[in-house]
Amino acid sequence: MSTVEDRPTTATTGSPRKNGTERRWIGRSVPRKEDPKLLAGRATYVGDVTLPGMLHGAVLGSPHAHARIVSIDTSAAEAIPGVKAVLTGAQAAELVNPMPAFCAEPVPQTAIAIERVRYPGEAVAIVAATDRYIAEDACAAIRVEYEVLPAVVDPEAAMAPDATRIHETLDSNVAFHRVLDFGDVEGDLARAHTVVRTRARWHRMCASPMETAGAVASWNPFDKSMTVYSNSNFHNFLPWAFAGMLGVSTNRMRMIPCAVGGSFGSKHFITKVLAIAGALTKATGKPVQYLEDRVDNIAANDNVGCDRIYDAELALAEDGEMLGLTLKIVDDYGAYFQFAHGQHGNAMAQPTGPYRIGSLRYDVSCVLTNKVQQGFFRGAGADPGNFVLERLVDKASEVMGIDRAEIRRRNFIAPEQFPFKTPSGNVYDSGDYAAVLDRALELAGIDDWRAEQERLRAEGRYLGIGLATCQERTGYNASEWWFLYDNPPLPATSTPESVKMDVDAMGGVRVEVGCPLWGNSPETVVSQVVAEEFGIDPNDVSVTYADSTTGAMSAGPGGSRLTIMLSGATRGAARTIRDKMIRIAAHAMEIDPDDVECVDGTFRAKGVPGASMSMADIGMRAHLFFHSTPEDESSGLVAVHTYDHPYSTPPSADRTDMGAFYPMVSHACHIPIVEVDAETGVVTLRAYYAVNDCGTVMNPTLVEGQIVGGIVQGIGAALMEEYRYGEDGALDTPTFREYLMPSMHEVPEIVVEHLETPSPFTEYGVKGAGEGGRLVAPTAIASAVDDALKPFGVWVDELPMTPERVVDLVAGAHEGRP
Amino acid sequence: MKPAAFAYLAPHDLDEALDQLAEHGADARVLAGGQSLVRLMNARLASPAVVVDINRVGGLDALSLVNGSGPARLRLGATVRQRTSELSPEVAAHAPLLAEAGAHVAHAPVRSRGTVVGSVAFADPSAELPTALLALDGRVVARSRSGERTIEADDFFTGPFTTSLAPGELVVAVEVPVTAAGTGTAFVEVSRRHGDLPVCGVAATVTRGDDGSVAATRIALCGAGERPVRARAAEDALTGSDGGADAVAAAAARAADGLSPIADCHGSADFRRHLARVLTGRALRTAIHRAAGEADNA
Repeated sequence: MSTVEDRPTTATTGSPRKNGTERRWIGRSVPRKEDPKLLAGRATYVGDVTLPGMLHGAVLGSPHAHARIVSIDTSAAEAIPGVKAVLTGAQAAELVNPMPAFCAEPVPQTAIAIERVRYPGEAVAIVAATDRYIAEDACAAIRVEYEVLPAVVDPEAAMAPDATRIHETLDSNVAFHRVLDFGDVEGDLARAHTVVRTRARWHRMCASPMETAGAVASWNPFDKSMTVYSNSNFHNFLPWAFAGMLGVSTNRMRMIPCAVGGSFGSKHFITKVLAIAGALTKATGKPVQYLEDRVDNIAANDNVGCDRIYDAELALAEDGEMLGLTLKIVDDYGAYFQFAHGQHGNAMAQPTGPYRIGSLRYDVSCVLTNKVQQGFFRGAGADPGNFVLERLVDKASEVMGIDRAEIRRRNFIAPEQFPFKTPSGNVYDSGDYAAVLDRALELAGIDDWRAEQERLRAEGRYLGIGLATCQERTGYNASEWWFLYDNPPLPATSTPESVKMDVDAMGGVRVEVGCPLWGNSPETVVSQVVAEEFGIDPNDVSVTYADSTTGAMSAGPGGSRLTIMLSGATRGAARTIRDKMIRIAAHAMEIDPDDVECVDGTFRAKGVPGASMSMADIGMRAHLFFHSTPEDESSGLVAVHTYDHPYSTPPSADRTDMGAFYPMVSHACHIPIVEVDAETGVVTLRAYYAVNDCGTVMNPTLVEGQIVGGIVQGIGAALMEEYRYGEDGALDTPTFREYLMPSMHEVPEIVVEHLETPSPFTEYGVKGAGEGGRLVAPTAIASAVDDALKPFGVWVDELPMTPERVVDLVAGAHEGRP
Repeated sequence: MKPAAFAYLAPHDLDEALDQLAEHGADARVLAGGQSLVRLMNARLASPAVVVDINRVGGLDALSLVNGSGPARLRLGATVRQRTSELSPEVAAHAPLLAEAGAHVAHAPVRSRGTVVGSVAFADPSAELPTALLALDGRVVARSRSGERTIEADDFFTGPFTTSLAPGELVVAVEVPVTAAGTGTAFVEVSRRHGDLPVCGVAATVTRGDDGSVAATRIALCGAGERPVRARAAEDALTGSDGGADAVAAAAARAADGLSPIADCHGSADFRRHLARVLTGRALRTAIHRAAGEADNA
C-alpha cells in the first residue's frame, strides 16, 4: 500500500477527544446564532438593499435554444416612461468585459449574448428602470428578430464530427477529453473473476436556493470606483476577477457581502448578475439592483449540476475483492465552460469510494450543447460518482451472491490503513467505515424491516430497504480546478480562510470573518471556537462580515470546507491574542508567562488562587497603558489570521498522481426504507436512517441540519429533480410546476447518528459535513427501489426515478429487458 | 415575474359586476381566489386589461341545498372557497366526491383562498374539481346582463383552459345533483408530489340497482386529454355488469379507449393511458364498495 510521506504534524493539530470532557464548547449544540435575525426577517439580503436613486434591472431572455440574432429594436422599450437604459449585448460589451472563465479552451461568454444565443433563456438585452414592473414592461417591448439554428440537445449526438457546432472557436463540441489510468487497469480487468457493468444516467438539476442570485452595483464616475452588494461567495477570494470583468481597477472595487438565502454551491461566482448590474449602473450613473427571478434562475443560473452518462465497470476477484474501476463519462456541460472540468477534478477526490480498489481508469468527455452551463451544486461532481460506484457494488453483490453489507466490509479501507493514498493520488485522513455500517444496520433495525417487507409482499405491496456507504471529501484545494490540464491557464493552489479578531479595552471579543453568511453557520462556529480558546460564553462573542477592503482572504463556504477552515483561522487568531494577553498578564503579575493560564475568561497564576486578571483588565491595559505592558508589545489586541489548506500536495507533472487536495474525508452509511407502487410507479419513503462520521462534531445540531437538508435534496435527486429539454432545445421544466423538489410531505422522519473519527490534519479534528446528505441519499434510495422491486428483477441506472420510469422498469423486467 | 399594468375593479353587487364584464368583454378576467389567475399574470401568460374582483359581491358565497323542481341539488356560489366545500357537512353528506377530490387540490392554505367555481371556470385539464363536476353530472350556472343560463358539465369544458362561457358571462355557481343512497363515488389520482396537479386522476360514480348490478356509472378523467373527459367505453363496459372484480377489470382495461392524452415532463401520453386504466380500476372498486354501503378498506 502506498504511504503518505509529507502530511502535517502541527503543534495545534487536534487529537481525539477523550470522553468529550476536555472541551467545553466544541461539540455542543450551541444554539445557532444566525437564526434569530433570519427567522425574524432582519437579515439584509440583496433584495433588501436600497440606495438613493436606485434603479431596477430586468433581462430579456432568448425564447430559442440556438439562434442567430438578426436584429434588436429597443426603441419602443426606451420610450416607456421610467426606462433609463436598454442595452444589447454589443452595447453592454462597451461597458463591461466578458465573464472570466477557468477554462483553457476558447469559449468566450458575455453576460448578454452578442450575435448568437446558445441556450433558451440566454440574455439578449437588459433594462434599467425606476421599478421592476416597468423594467419588465420594457423587456416585453423589445423586438428581436432571430434566425433559428438547429439545437444540439443530445450530448452523445453532439460529439459527432458533423454535429452543429456550439462555438466556432472550437474544432468540436467536445470541449475537453482525457483518459487517465491509475494503476494496472488492464491487468486488473484481465485477472478479474467477475466484471459488473452499468450504463448509468444522471440528469442535470439545479440548486434552487430560496433566494436567487443578485447584485446591487453602484458606479461612481468621478473616482471610477464601484461598490457592489451581492450574494456571491468570492468577494474576498477573487474580487480582482470581478473588477476585471466590470472594468474597474482592483483597488477601486468594493464588494459587500449580503446575507444569502441559500446557495448550495450555486452562487460562488455569479458573474452574470454582477455584469448585468455593473453594465446598467455604468450606463445610467445610478445604482442598479438586479435580482434574478425564479424563471431567470432556473433558465439561466449558470450553475446547474452534473449531466452525465456513465459506462462503468467494476472488476472483482472471486472472493469479492474489488480490483479495478473504469469510468467512461460523457458530461453535458451546456453552452459554456466557465468552470472548465472542475467538477471532474472534484470527483477525482474519491472515485474509488471507501474501498481498496487498486486501479482506476477515468475517461471524461466534456461536451457542449444548447443548454445553460454547469457550475456547482452540492456534491459538485462527486455526487454522480457515488451513485454509479454504489450501484456497481450492489450489482456485484447480486451477481456474485455476496451479501451487500458483507461485500462492502470485505473491501473497506481498514482503520489502521489511514492515512490512505487512493489510486488517483488524493489522501484520506481517517475513518472507521465498518463501524459506521454496523451502527447503521443496528439503528435501522434491519431485521424488523425485512419481516415487514415479507408481510407486505404477501399483500402485493413492495417495501424496499436501501443501503449505501459513501465518502464525502471535504476541504478542497484549488488544484482540483485545473489538474486535468497539462497546461492549466491558472494553476492556483490557495484556498485560504481568514478572520480578523480583536479584544477591545473592555474585554469584548469581536471577530470579522472573510466569508459571507451563505446559509451556513459561521457566527456560531467562530463563537464556539473563541469560547473554547478563552473559556468565555459564545453568546458574548460578536461576529461580523468583512467586505473586500479588509483583506480577509476567504474562499468561503464550498467543498464542505467552512467549519474546518474557520476553526483553523479562528483558533489561530485566538491563540495569537491569547498569547499576547498572557504576556501582558504575566508582566502585570510579575510572573513568568509560562505560569499564566487562561481559564473561564480569566488569566490566572497557576497554583495561586486569587491572582488573576479578567479579559477587561488586560484589554484596558493593552489599549491605554502602554507603559504598563511588556517592552516589545504594541498597543491593542488585534490579529488577522489566515488559515491555509491544512494538507495539500501538488499533482505530479505527468498526472499519474493528482496529489492530496481533498484529504479530510467524512463517511456515511444511509439506509432508506421505501414503498413502491409497482402499478403507478410512485415511490414513497417510509423511513430514513443515516450514520455519519465527520470527525469531531463541532455542533451536533448544525451537523444534523446539514445532513438532513442534504438528504432532502438527495430525495429530490432520486425521485424528482431533472432539467428536461424538448427536441427543439426548449426547456420543458422552466418553473417549479415542472421542476419538482421534495416538500415536507415527501420527506420521512430522518434519523441521524454520528460516529467520530477525528481528522489528524485539522484543528480539533473536524471534517466537513455540508454535502454528505446529497452525496449518499440518491444512490441509497436507488438501492431501496431495487430491493423493493426485486421480485421483478429491476435495475435502477437512471435518476430521478419518476413514476413513469419505475413503471417502465417493471414493464421492462416483465419483458426480459436488461 | 411582474404582471403588466391592469385596471382593478371591485364591484359590490352582482349587477355592477355584470355591467363591468359586459363593458370590458374579452379584455376582462374575473378574480376570485386568485390562485391561478395571479400566477398567470405574474408570468405574463395572461395580461388582462381589466381584473374584476368579485370577492365583495354579496350572495356569491352561499353553499346550499336546493330543493326545487326535479332532484335536489347542491349549489356552490362563485366565492365559496375550496376549503369551505371540503369541510362542509352538506358536501360530505350530499356530494362526498366533491370533498374527496377537493382534498387533493394543492395545500390547505391555497384551498382557503381558491374557489370551487374558480377551478371549474379556469378549466385546467389536469385539475380535480372540473373532473369531479363532470363525474357528478353537474352543471354551471352562468349569468350575464342578458340573463342566466345553465350549462351541463359535459358541454362546458371545450379545451385546455377554455369553456363555452361567452364574454360578459360570469359563473355565479356550480350545481351537482345530490348523491343518492345506493350510489358510491371515489376519486383517486397519481401526482408527482402531495398537492401537485395529478398526472392522471379518476372520478367515478357507480349506482347499483336493486339486484346489485351496476345500474349507472360515470367515470371522468383528468390529465388524460385536453379537457376533463369521460371514459365512456369503460362506463359502457361496467353498466349492467355485476360490478365484480372481473367486470371492474374489463371496464378498467377500456378506460383509455379513445383518449389522446397530453404529454409533458410529468408523463407521456402512453403513461397517462396506463394510469387511466390502473386508476379507473381502483376508483371503481372503491366506488362499488361504497355503493354497497361497505366501509372503506373492507
